[in-house]
Amino acid sequence: MKALHILALAIVPLGIIIAAVPENTTRPYKLTADELLIEVTEGRQFMAPDEIAQMLVDKDPSLQLIDVRGADEFEKFSLPGAINIPLENLLSAGFEDVLNQDIKLNVFYSNSSNDANQAWMIARQLGFKNNYVLRGGLNYWAETILKPEKPAEGSPNEELAKYNFRMGASQALGGGTETAAAGTAPMSAAPPVIQKIKKKKTAAGGC
Amino acid sequence: MGPLVVNEIISPETNLLLAFIIGIAFGFVLEINGFSSTRRLAGMFYGYDTTVLKVFFTAAITGMIGILFLSLFGWLDLSLIYINPTFLWSAIGGGVIMGAGFILGGYCPGTSFCAAAIGKLDAMAFIGGIFIGIFIFAEGYPLWEGFYKAKDLGSPLMNDLIGTSRGVMTLMIIVVALAMFWVGEWAEKKFARADYKINQR
Repeated sequence: MKALHILALAIVPLGIIIAAVPENTTRPYKLTADELLIEVTEGRQFMAPDEIAQMLVDKDPSLQLIDVRGADEFEKFSLPGAINIPLENLLSAGFEDVLNQDIKLNVFYSNSSNDANQAWMIARQLGFKNNYVLRGGLNYWAETILKPEKPAEGSPNEELAKYNFRMGASQALGGGTETAAAGTAPMSAAPPVIQKIKKKKTAAGGC
Repeated sequence: MGPLVVNEIISPETNLLLAFIIGIAFGFVLEINGFSSTRRLAGMFYGYDTTVLKVFFTAAITGMIGILFLSLFGWLDLSLIYINPTFLWSAIGGGVIMGAGFILGGYCPGTSFCAAAIGKLDAMAFIGGIFIGIFIFAEGYPLWEGFYKAKDLGSPLMNDLIGTSRGVMTLMIIVVALAMFWVGEWAEKKFARADYKINQR
């Protein structure tokens, strides 16, 4: 038998099989359950309200806030520059470009951390990078940034600095103006410096 | 599971090491199959030896079937595969220049290194020519930048252009390949040369 015939006998049936079966479009899960459990227990997905507030005040272009609540709640109140992706629409084809990218820093938020965490977990399992969760959600945001509690007399300087920053951020971001107007905060104190967490960069794909 | 680098199963450094080993194996297989012979390579253009066509078509259909089966079994995520973007005019222009160099020199870039490795002087001259070409291209880049980047088609796939699945496209290419093999073997008889024997060493 000639080589050509042997080749044809081997390769034509394989070609017929691959033409007949449906294409496999499922993405294999990126993380094992163990790996995901480690990330969850360490809380690596969380970003503190102060970090986000600092980025908003700085008008950091890399920040993309994503509101996963319903559209009606989003219209009543949302953080500056946030876009609305209700949790049930998370997997709509139109939003994949937003979630699956490696340029911006996506931060999910909802009223508490729950819905945002679920959105993060789905995105993480799909292998999408640069997705994070606002720790404590909007409730904690309101407590810490919009209506910060004045630390007790004699608190360490860091506490006061944090408070001052929060008051400033609160004014800049349009919340809690009446507390600021009371002018109890020593605004002349040194401007607070929020340490930005350096986000770990993973190797990009490609050739 | 795959692609291994993208999914961080192996590091980019390991990837380079594997590429190095595979590259050496590739060169070795090219050489033992006579691909460092200019007569064998030029035979493609005259029809008396169509081994080049048969080998590279076989490689293409083997690769296609392999990738689709890996994807079918869930071992490879096709959406993460890097597909070289198509710039139509530079692809055509580059193809013409490469073809002209191929027929003039009797090598393609890969086989010239293969032949140089076994000490062929014409292959070393050919490699010199490659570097002259690279130098002219790089130094004159502003002159042909417009042409080079014209007609960017992104990464189109043939099966999308004709509106069929990847599997059906693969079967069609297999049929075309087998037909080309048959034509090639016919050409080898038709244009056979008295002083050239196929698979000579």
